[in-house]
Amino acid sequence: MLERSDARSRSRWLRFPFQGRTIGVSKVRAGASPAAEPRWLVPFVFACLLLLCLLPLFSLAKAGFAGLVSGRSIGVLTEPATFAAIRNTLITATGGMVVSVVIGALFAFSVALTDVRGKLMLSFAFMLPMMIPPQVTALAWVEMTGPASPLLKTLGIAPPLGSPQPLYSLAGISLLFGVQHAPLVFLALKAGLSAAPRDGVEAARLAGATPFRVFRDIVAPLSLPGLIAGAAIAFVSGVGNFGIPAILGIPAGIEVLPTLIYTRLASFGAGTFGEIALLSSLIALIAAAGLILQQRALAGRDYRIIGISGANAAFSLGRFRVVVELALVAILFLVLVAPLSALVASSLVPAYGVPLNWQTVSLRAYEEILFRQAMTLKALGNSMFLATGAALGLLAVSVPAAYLMTRRKGWLADTLGILIEIPYALPGIVLAVAFILTFAAALPLLNVSLYGTIWIILIAYFSSFLAVSLKPVMSAFLQMDPSLEEAARLSGAGFLQRMRDVILPLVAPAAGAAIILVFLIAANELTVSALLWSAGTQTLGVAIFNLDDSGSSDLAAALSVLVVVMVVALMAALEALARYLPEGVLPWRN
Amino acid sequence: MKSFVSVLAGALVAGLLSTAAYAEKLVLYTSQPNEDAQATVDAFQAVNPGIEVEWVREGTTKIMAKLMAEIEAGNPVADVLLIADTVTMQRLKEAGHLADYKSPEAANFDAALYDADGAYYSTKMITTGIVYNTSAAMKPAGWQDLAKSGAKGLVTMPSPLTSGAALIHAQTLTGIDGLGWDYYKALAANGATAAGGNGGVLKAVATGEKAYGMLVDFMAIREKAKGARVEFVFPAEGVSAVTEPVGILKTAKNLDAAKKFVDFLLSEEGQKAAVKMGYIPARNGVALPEGYPARETIKVLPVNAAEAVKNSDADLKTFSGIFGTN
Repeated sequence: MLERSDARSRSRWLRFPFQGRTIGVSKVRAGASPAAEPRWLVPFVFACLLLLCLLPLFSLAKAGFAGLVSGRSIGVLTEPATFAAIRNTLITATGGMVVSVVIGALFAFSVALTDVRGKLMLSFAFMLPMMIPPQVTALAWVEMTGPASPLLKTLGIAPPLGSPQPLYSLAGISLLFGVQHAPLVFLALKAGLSAAPRDGVEAARLAGATPFRVFRDIVAPLSLPGLIAGAAIAFVSGVGNFGIPAILGIPAGIEVLPTLIYTRLASFGAGTFGEIALLSSLIALIAAAGLILQQRALAGRDYRIIGISGANAAFSLGRFRVVVELALVAILFLVLVAPLSALVASSLVPAYGVPLNWQTVSLRAYEEILFRQAMTLKALGNSMFLATGAALGLLAVSVPAAYLMTRRKGWLADTLGILIEIPYALPGIVLAVAFILTFAAALPLLNVSLYGTIWIILIAYFSSFLAVSLKPVMSAFLQMDPSLEEAARLSGAGFLQRMRDVILPLVAPAAGAAIILVFLIAANELTVSALLWSAGTQTLGVAIFNLDDSGSSDLAAALSVLVVVMVVALMAALEALARYLPEGVLPWRN
Repeated sequence: MKSFVSVLAGALVAGLLSTAAYAEKLVLYTSQPNEDAQATVDAFQAVNPGIEVEWVREGTTKIMAKLMAEIEAGNPVADVLLIADTVTMQRLKEAGHLADYKSPEAANFDAALYDADGAYYSTKMITTGIVYNTSAAMKPAGWQDLAKSGAKGLVTMPSPLTSGAALIHAQTLTGIDGLGWDYYKALAANGATAAGGNGGVLKAVATGEKAYGMLVDFMAIREKAKGARVEFVFPAEGVSAVTEPVGILKTAKNLDAAKKFVDFLLSEEGQKAAVKMGYIPARNGVALPEGYPARETIKVLPVNAAEAVKNSDADLKTFSGIFGTN
């Protein structure tokens, strides 16, 4: 502990910005100790961000600027439709964030801190809604609540013919944003809570503090960064979500910015690129505002923790345990079991609006999907390849980027952070256009065009999910005491050796979580691939959306059911391998 | 786990690369529903076994957006287009994107059904009429019924911003005396909605979210045959029609296969395959599918194609103005 404070003050001195770095490095060199970071690190991270974040944004900006200059696109900024879309975007993203935080925090606190039973099953089930593609979530909920809902018909409370669908509203969109993004809050919060110092909590309890006081004075402050980070990512995800407002908003004439861009793009004309570039800059502004708020909220705090982590069952709920358990199961039933049952039901009926019973049940949709449609297996293969490639490949960027961003505070880290968040905050459709504009022409030197190949989707995924990969890695770095690395460095370990022996083992659980998060999100991705897919490169998300769009929602439902089965099987396989994996790799375990 | 994932990734890469080993290829962009697109491709491959077909399906306006973006980027992927309407094809022709190909099969088609230069050929007739849920109180007989109080808040239609057939439909109806844009304003005042494509309309009416809809014939008739509680009406005033033309892009990389594809669609087998899917065939002497009235009894409203091309942008704006931005 004595050495620690020494090392930290030393590291602060070494981290003096700019000139300080050079001085620091040369001083250390003089002392025959390895450099704090290798010379290639900053150029490498910047090259990656240039390619993944700046270049597409630059292409978009160019298109927007061209639209402004030519005067063909400027009108979009003064249209009432644009103002309505901005308003709707803000309302639904904020509403969705509130719902996510409420549900996500309830689950995270219950699972991480209390003695509820069946934590593993609860966490496992709670992670599922995030893996279900948003458009499928929306479809399943519509099946569950509309006038034709088999569920409501059975209960005898189905609304009459022509009744408005209650989900076709701002509240409906907000609710489903909340359901879709609650696992993000849950993950962000649980990661922080798991690292909460058990000895601190125990000491307070022994000193006579009530559970409420322990919660208010120890747990709540420590969970705040996770909560704020989770809320921010839920908000930004809501701003960029396309699948849910596309299905719930468009039939009701409710446009948000992503669907407005999509409809503009679907009626391609002169000035379209300029218009969507301008509209997407509005989204970028909203997302950036949310992130700046987040950074201000977190400014001036230091969350590094020393001591034994883990706060298993810090609070005993007593007779309320059953109540909490019932509430958690009820929520899971509503967000998971009921919509998935509706989905299964609609995959088994022969036609729309036909009630499901033993006479009508039909496997035709599955037969068509599996044995007639050539595109299903191709889409499956493409999605698996893209998800695997993105999940593993992104670590090579996110680990060094997170390292830089935590070791170097100040404007460099802030700039990197905002750069990384913007492509994630942009709706996939805009990112897709940006990548078309960037990579359509043949690559210099190689003389091959990426456009129309699967590689352009992969690169767009890299850009889109960099923030997803970075978040868990980043929080691991934030909670890691730099003294460990400093000690290794002063003992003569080079950067790569420190990476291998000190840093990677410590961030491995977070990296594992990052891999799984990216894989699951990428496997069900829709919006980026919706515009970048071409002959032979369709993804599962595109296949499902396309089937529904062409009027075959029985086929869409059948394929969705297969996707859900596959995801659950994958999760179960990982669960079976759990004891061979490092602690914390599986987000639903602890 | 690492090795498991890398083995998986390796297998996938190998799988992706192995698909490149075919002799002849064809890339088709189409707006047909997926099942029909696959059935069309299957029927084509049964006659031309050596040709591998990659197909891409989207609504006509979306597939055009994709194509225009590709053309803008200088790298159009498609060889053949099979989309809803000739108006869009005519625009492409005028912009110089279509190749002229004189198909020998054209002799069996009315001259009005194909471009004189051979830029595109109509492959079938798709009319837009009225679909209603069989539990609805009113049985509509004509377009005006949808604007009456009995249908208040119960009508939906595809948006011209998404569907090629819907744009032609709107342009047809607004050109008819006694309907015009006033008819659409009356519909909007009656609470009608316009969003998405024909698939969404079918779903809304079949599931009972809405009672009435404007819809393409084959979807309603096919779905009724599968057991859905819907009925299709050819309205008294007449129906609008699109002809799902096929055309070859000038930039086609697989020109021979593309020509074979056009010939197949126009051939008797190709037309019979379309009938089997429930479409009205375009070729002379091929019978209509089950569920349709006799061909002579279907009254098709005229549309001025040249006017339609010229006014498309203005018509879309007018429509958006009446029904909101979607």
